Amino acid sequence: MKAEAATAHKGGMWAWLFQRITAVLIIICLAIHLILTHILNIGDLDYSNVANRLAHASVIAVDIILLAAGIYHALNGLRMVLLDYWFGPRKRAIALNVALWVVGLAAMGYGTWALWPWIS
Amino acid sequence: MWAWLLFRASGLLLVLYLFAHIVITSLGHFGGVGESNAYTQMMEFFEHPVAIVLDLLLVAVVLYHAFNGVRVILMDFGVGIQRHKIVFWTCMVVTVICFAFFAYVAIDHLVNNAGGGS
Repeated sequence: MKAEAATAHKGGMWAWLFQRITAVLIIICLAIHLILTHILNIGDLDYSNVANRLAHASVIAVDIILLAAGIYHALNGLRMVLLDYWFGPRKRAIALNVALWVVGLAAMGYGTWALWPWIS
Repeated sequence: MWAWLLFRASGLLLVLYLFAHIVITSLGHFGGVGESNAYTQMMEFFEHPVAIVLDLLLVAVVLYHAFNGVRVILMDFGVGIQRHKIVFWTCMVVTVICFAFFAYVAIDHLVNNAGGGS
């Protein structure tokens, strides 16, 4: 393990770690998601067919993991890009962090709401 | 440098796609049953051959980002740094093999389902 890969990372050690954990989660869950939606269960693309698909607890579990891991990975990735440009200085970086957390939590809330009929 | 640039570009594209995907797949909540459901109407567009080709392009972007990402993680852990070019091209070969599989599925779908339906 190259310790400097984590500690010298401009986004911070925890962001570095979570970016990699979510990456692995997304690779696994996205593979399942794509196989279920495009290969095993191609059926008609209409609301009732997709709703039946989501009725399986395992499908919902995979989708919720993808939702959370995807939003974190996407917004942290966006943050890493933006920190290289205008958001480098500390105050702007903090403002960016706050803004991205608000967007991320809102997206997570919205996505959970959209899946709620199959979660509850 | 090109691997890095493509990684960023594909990442930014996927951020946009993710949020569009969340919004579009949540449309089922907004009114209508059967054929008049907002989600069902939206999905009719995604059955169009042009949409399937765009989907396949999306698969290419996802696979590149995924396997270049695997390479980045390997580099972080110091795996294969001495042979980084071999690691990169191995990842690209895996990307192409996975893409070929999805291309087969998409082309099969286009050929056998021309004119809509499932």
